[in-house]
Amino acid sequence: MVALARKTLIHEWRRFLPAILAVGFAGLLQLLQAALVLGIFSSASIYVTGSTADLWVGYPGTRSVSLGQPINPDVGMHLRMDPAVARIEPFYWVDGNWRGVHGSGGELVYVTGIDPRPDGLMFSRALPASLRARLVEPDTVIVDRADVGKLGVKVGDTAAINGRRVRVVGVSHGLRALGGVNVVTSIDTARQLTTDPASVDHPTYLLVQLHEGSQADAVARRLRGAPGFGPYDVWTARQFARRSVLYWLLDTGAGAGVVFMAGIVFLVGAVITSQTLMAAVAGSAREYATLNALGVGLRNLRWVVLEQAFWVGALGLLGATVLGLLLLAGARSQDVPVALTAPITLVCMLLAMSLAAVSGLVAMRGLRRADPASLLR
Amino acid sequence: MSAREPRRATPEASPALRAEGIAKAFVSGKVRTQVLEGLSLSIDAGELTLISGPSGCGKSTLLAILSGLQKVDAGRVLALGSDLTALDSHALERFRLRHTGFVFQGFNLFPALNALEQVALPLHYLGLPDRQAQERAMQSLDEVGMTPRIHLRPGELSGGEKQRVAIARALAKHPELLFADEPTSALDAANGQIIIDILHRIARSHGTTVLCVSHDPRLTHHADRMLSMEDGRILSDRRAEPLHHEA
Repeated sequence: MVALARKTLIHEWRRFLPAILAVGFAGLLQLLQAALVLGIFSSASIYVTGSTADLWVGYPGTRSVSLGQPINPDVGMHLRMDPAVARIEPFYWVDGNWRGVHGSGGELVYVTGIDPRPDGLMFSRALPASLRARLVEPDTVIVDRADVGKLGVKVGDTAAINGRRVRVVGVSHGLRALGGVNVVTSIDTARQLTTDPASVDHPTYLLVQLHEGSQADAVARRLRGAPGFGPYDVWTARQFARRSVLYWLLDTGAGAGVVFMAGIVFLVGAVITSQTLMAAVAGSAREYATLNALGVGLRNLRWVVLEQAFWVGALGLLGATVLGLLLLAGARSQDVPVALTAPITLVCMLLAMSLAAVSGLVAMRGLRRADPASLLR
Repeated sequence: MSAREPRRATPEASPALRAEGIAKAFVSGKVRTQVLEGLSLSIDAGELTLISGPSGCGKSTLLAILSGLQKVDAGRVLALGSDLTALDSHALERFRLRHTGFVFQGFNLFPALNALEQVALPLHYLGLPDRQAQERAMQSLDEVGMTPRIHLRPGELSGGEKQRVAIARALAKHPELLFADEPTSALDAANGQIIIDILHRIARSHGTTVLCVSHDPRLTHHADRMLSMEDGRILSDRRAEPLHHEA
């Protein structure tokens, strides 16, 4: 078979270049937008994804990790009685007001009180054992690399949280918070920083490790809603992480913004691509008309146009992928929160290809000019 | 049926093309122009028939109608025994694919394809396997003397060579009917003569019915039959001396 579509694309690449660029940039924009939004909002669940707990126990109806409320520590007794439970670890969340010693302005900080032992569940993935060990010393904190400038401190400096003096003993990496600044400390220090004396012995969450992590769903169902321990609920780590990301995505309107932007990008891309393809089809109208005169059906000619659109889409995507990978790598090196999952990447690619397909369908109208009778006038 | 197998036209053969009282008008805004009215005509198989006449006389419209590219307002067109006026556009495409070849004034070759690919392309749609399509395309290009240049693209060919590729493209399908519209008017004298010789040979050796619209006087020496048209009517219908048949 003579590859008319491909050969024309290669021979007349200048003519098709705007379409390839349009698909490429539309794909790139969608990919980067998705990566940024995912990156920003995945920091809402870093507390869960950066830890190795199988189950999270917290106040019922908690929609995001940062919105937790103290629960009755006796819930732990109930949990421990279940044979599937291997270990339980409390986690304290304290909202704090940060003041630098040099009188720098107040900053809202999320104080996360973790078990600083090397085998602690909380932030076991996000903090290396050597770093968390430094928190054993009272009134010490770790801040994230991305927030060092904002807080105006370096390792060794002191500052005040909720009026209590703390010392910075380390800098973490990848613990950027959403809407505030993460400050990691030990459980004991966090309890000292609590402004509400009633909740000093009430952890915000209980992290549960199971003997068999694969049973998380069943165990979570089983442990949920026992009477006599006050209000609490049990989620698997997966559920809770997802819940936190969705809260930010949907309740802040960011999700709608993303969909709206994707729609605009799609529309603009499709207009440019279809116009370019249509011009290319019209440019070959006489040749197409000759083929039709020779009996090559309109349906076959439409396939040639669609095939061209397919190659335009594939080439555009290829460019977008290469450029996208470079930009994402650049973003990561600059601590810009970006994240991509395989399904989201696939959706972006499908969107770009369907953009090309829609443009191909529109460009078929250019074949109307390929009337063989017009060649005889 | 092979193109190599000569089909001698006999004077008694049934007409390859017959038009019966065909009429065609074009409407542009409020102006209606009657191009053809009640025209009847028979074209014999295996002959090179030339239609000439001043521009606007309706000769191109007649060619478009006889070749199934355009619908008539009234009348009937019979091509190889099929009533073209009764066929829908799909069936017309199929008819053209199986039975007709076209050569236009502009060569209409795809800039991206080389000569071999230009000729092989329609053959694929005819359902020929790759290898057979290639062989047939080579054969046709050989017949128009283009074998040394089969790997060149239109941009690397002269006007005459492009027209020879266009003829090979039409010829490779082994059509019974070959329609040519002003095939020499974009060419210089020498190249025009080559094209004329090829068309003449096609009618002679393949028994193909060649219907050619042209006002190139050189063509008249080669035609078996000359029709001259004016205002949508046929003014004269002359047959060449039998001597030309043997030429």
